[in-house]
Amino acid sequence: MGLGAVVLSLGFLALLLIIMAKNGLGGLGWDFLTRSDSTDPATAGVWGAVKGSLLTMMVTLALSFPMGVLAAVYLEEFAPRNRWVDWVEVSINNLAAVPSIIFGLLGLAVFINVMHLPRSSPLVGGMTLALMTMPVIVISGRNAIKAVPPSIRDAALAIGASPVQTVFHHVVPLALPGILTGTIIGMARALGETAPLLMIGMRAFVATPADGVTAPSSVLPMQIFLWSDEIDKAFVQNTSAAIIVLLAFLLAMNGVAIYLRNKFETRW
Amino acid sequence: MTSTIILLAIFALGLAGWFTARARARLLYTGRGSLHSMPNYHAWHMALWIVVPALLAWLAWSAVSPELVRAAVLADPLAAKLPAMDMERAAILAEARSLAGNPGAAAFNPLAQEFAVPYRAAELRFGLIGAALVAIFAFTGGAWGFTRVRARFPARSWVERGVMFGLLVASLVAILTTFGIVVSLVYETGLFFRTVSPIDFLTGTHWAPSTAGGANISKDFGAVPLFWGTIYIGAIIAMVVAIPLGLMSAVYLTQYADPAVRRWVKPALEILAGVPTVVYGYFAALTVAPLVRDFAAMLGKANPSTESALAAGLVMGVMIIPFVSSMADDSIAAVPQAMRDGSLAMGATPSETIKRVLLPAALPGIVAGVMLAVSRAIGETMIVVMAAGAAARLSADPFESMTTVTYQIVQLLTGDQEFNSPKTLSAFALGLVLFIVTFILNIVALRVVKRFREAYE
Repeated sequence: MGLGAVVLSLGFLALLLIIMAKNGLGGLGWDFLTRSDSTDPATAGVWGAVKGSLLTMMVTLALSFPMGVLAAVYLEEFAPRNRWVDWVEVSINNLAAVPSIIFGLLGLAVFINVMHLPRSSPLVGGMTLALMTMPVIVISGRNAIKAVPPSIRDAALAIGASPVQTVFHHVVPLALPGILTGTIIGMARALGETAPLLMIGMRAFVATPADGVTAPSSVLPMQIFLWSDEIDKAFVQNTSAAIIVLLAFLLAMNGVAIYLRNKFETRW
Repeated sequence: MTSTIILLAIFALGLAGWFTARARARLLYTGRGSLHSMPNYHAWHMALWIVVPALLAWLAWSAVSPELVRAAVLADPLAAKLPAMDMERAAILAEARSLAGNPGAAAFNPLAQEFAVPYRAAELRFGLIGAALVAIFAFTGGAWGFTRVRARFPARSWVERGVMFGLLVASLVAILTTFGIVVSLVYETGLFFRTVSPIDFLTGTHWAPSTAGGANISKDFGAVPLFWGTIYIGAIIAMVVAIPLGLMSAVYLTQYADPAVRRWVKPALEILAGVPTVVYGYFAALTVAPLVRDFAAMLGKANPSTESALAAGLVMGVMIIPFVSSMADDSIAAVPQAMRDGSLAMGATPSETIKRVLLPAALPGIVAGVMLAVSRAIGETMIVVMAAGAAARLSADPFESMTTVTYQIVQLLTGDQEFNSPKTLSAFALGLVLFIVTFILNIVALRVVKRFREAYE
């Protein structure tokens, strides 16, 4: 019976992949990958959306990686045990499980209505997703730092390194593979996210790829969502093909994460 | 464009300062113990003194300069031509601003074209003032840092103090985010409750924000059907799918499966959680929903709709399976081996051991996992947006189309409408309810997991 449950779940996954492949593989081609959105399904492509996704991810990574790593280092290595730090911990653990649409509401209320940053831009999208990704990086970073044995810290301190030197010269480099794995997984989640970006208006029809982080843009999951709404049957092929592109990106990212984990994982 | 240049310039100055200070500190080195800190620390000390004040000055300037530019443009003699109405005024100014950044583009409003000229001039002027300000801060900071490069100066302590401050700030971002969520949701909800009574919102059963208006506005914002739809799809249908499948997979993988099978099957199950929700939503709408509709027709239901609670709930349940199974997996693995051995030694069969000993012992962890899964399911957006439908109704029929809190938030905020109408504000009230419910679920679940872990350690 247990085996049946596993087979059923994996069967569902297989069915999903087969249906997307059946509908979408015919639409994949060089033209599809290099053109941007259009009202005509035959000439529509994903390049604009892919470029938007890349710009958004750049912003997300640039903000959430340093912030996440620094916060993890602080909480794991330097934070005193007090009520204040407990609050930070509760809030990080909770943020990792808050529905993504809430981050969209935050982005809309703060970045767009208060700070007046340009709507639909990769900048705002990336900032919103960075807030969402940061807790994931902090949690995996803390686990990676915790796994570094105390003897390493003691050795560095014993030969006269300051606490900051110990952490940044010895602990963080050793924890880096674990931190990177967590970061890639967090980024993969951000790449597939749609709901918060809907909130900040990244659903505009954009026929030319964005040329900067403040220009209006679309992202890959949003393109899938917009095409899935089209009445024209021909868009089914486009939608499925775009899904294949998205899944390929995610698979590649997760593959890198698994490779990193296997290659650099140290058993102390 | 100018902001990129200014940012690059700040960092280039910082780099230059870094090398200058290092070179100077090296000159000071005359032998062991002659310098308090290594040259690199002097370098970082000076670089920080250049970059940090300059960045702060630049941030402050970019916060105020749009207002200054606007004021300068309005002071232009041309401003007399502007219409008196605030809305038109703002529209023309906004267009002029985008024209100023993009010369050669055709203007929708000829007045905006005229305004683009003073706009461009003002932006250039204030941009130059800003750059000068940043330069002053960078050079003052750099000069101060440079005078500090002395043999006895404890540069390392100062740099480390700066690093510690950076670490503290980074860890505060998380709490600021939570604070930002709470403040923005509560503020907008407060505005909403000025027009609609909270009691009507939480207990009313009629939801029709698109036609709402007039004196009886409160009566059109009864959110109970949305709460019901959310619970029905996320906490009932999805869990009916996810709990048995997730639990049985976990038992199979921890107790029966060959290690080789487990090594391959576990990551494969995790893929289910990694597939983007928009893909699930599309799959639900394209494949599952028609199947459910045909099934309903087969059961003799007249005119079944394509969008149904069942289709969305089923797919959501599959998405949740890995959450339930990995939490159950962890809690079963945490049950001490002695309990299992004891049960087997008493003559219980493996299956009896699992049912009577392992699962009851692992129950708190499993319940916590289910709570996290529910919190995830009720906050899930794309699947319900694409498959569940827009009709707010109180019904227990899974083949009916139903709507959820998240669907309505998307619906209310993605049209073109003025921002402060009760319609858009109600989305924030829904968001607040969602945030509070998921917050309670998460906190309780995390507590349970923590206590459970401590109990067996």
